[in-house]
Amino acid sequence: MSQTLLNPDKWVDNFADALYSYTLPRVNDAALAEDLVQETFLSAWKAKEGFKGEASEKSWLFTICKNKIIDHYRKKAKDIVQPIGANERQDGYFDEAEHWTNETKPAEWGIDYQQAMDNKDFYKILDACKRKLQQIQQSVFVMKYMEDMDSADICKALGITSSNYWVLIHRAKLQLRTCLEKNWINLK
Amino acid sequence: MKWLMITCKEATYLISKKEENKLTWVSKIKLRGHLAICSMCRRFEQQSGFIGRMAGKMHIHATLSPESKEKMQKTLQDQ
Repeated sequence: MSQTLLNPDKWVDNFADALYSYTLPRVNDAALAEDLVQETFLSAWKAKEGFKGEASEKSWLFTICKNKIIDHYRKKAKDIVQPIGANERQDGYFDEAEHWTNETKPAEWGIDYQQAMDNKDFYKILDACKRKLQQIQQSVFVMKYMEDMDSADICKALGITSSNYWVLIHRAKLQLRTCLEKNWINLK
Repeated sequence: MKWLMITCKEATYLISKKEENKLTWVSKIKLRGHLAICSMCRRFEQQSGFIGRMAGKMHIHATLSPESKEKMQKTLQDQ
């Protein structure tokens, strides 16, 4: 098999938008996403001698980009003073007996939950709801559900315990579900 | 049997653990028992799984400005 060759002169033309589209919803900040894409190209440039052609040029660049995103979360986690547990007792989703309230109980969405949905409006609202999460919840959510990382790796990267992790995931899900129900299901 | 009863708050907490196959057998029994009698939490489980799967497929189409691309190209050429 002939070795795949890199074509760095074409990287920006061929992959800048794709990498940017990938990065943007994961960091929620246009200028930062742009910086990460630029850093991806620079790191790739420096590592190009080591490229063995085992992966395609595109997936090699995406791997570098993913690492940049995770690095960003890792650095960010250090700056966050975690308010975990602060308002754990009264969270608003459940009553004193820890059951759903009339206002918070899940409504029937009237969709096939097993069926994937390819709907631009849905993604837009999911993205907007995700932005409303606390920063650390967002990091955990993106790493788990968008990067498909193992929970142990996420805990290690963010410097949190596994019980912190489950609390963050739990609350992120409750909040996203409520937000989607309010903004998307009622629009349908 | 009372020790097996859990609240909706605990059940929804365990649902995310279940999605990642991290339930102990006691928690499994507790959650199964709760879901058998609670249609709200059954619905939550479906919606929670749906949200996770959709997040994994989330894609948007964004484009960089020509100026940004030019700047990137130039930075690379200066290397």
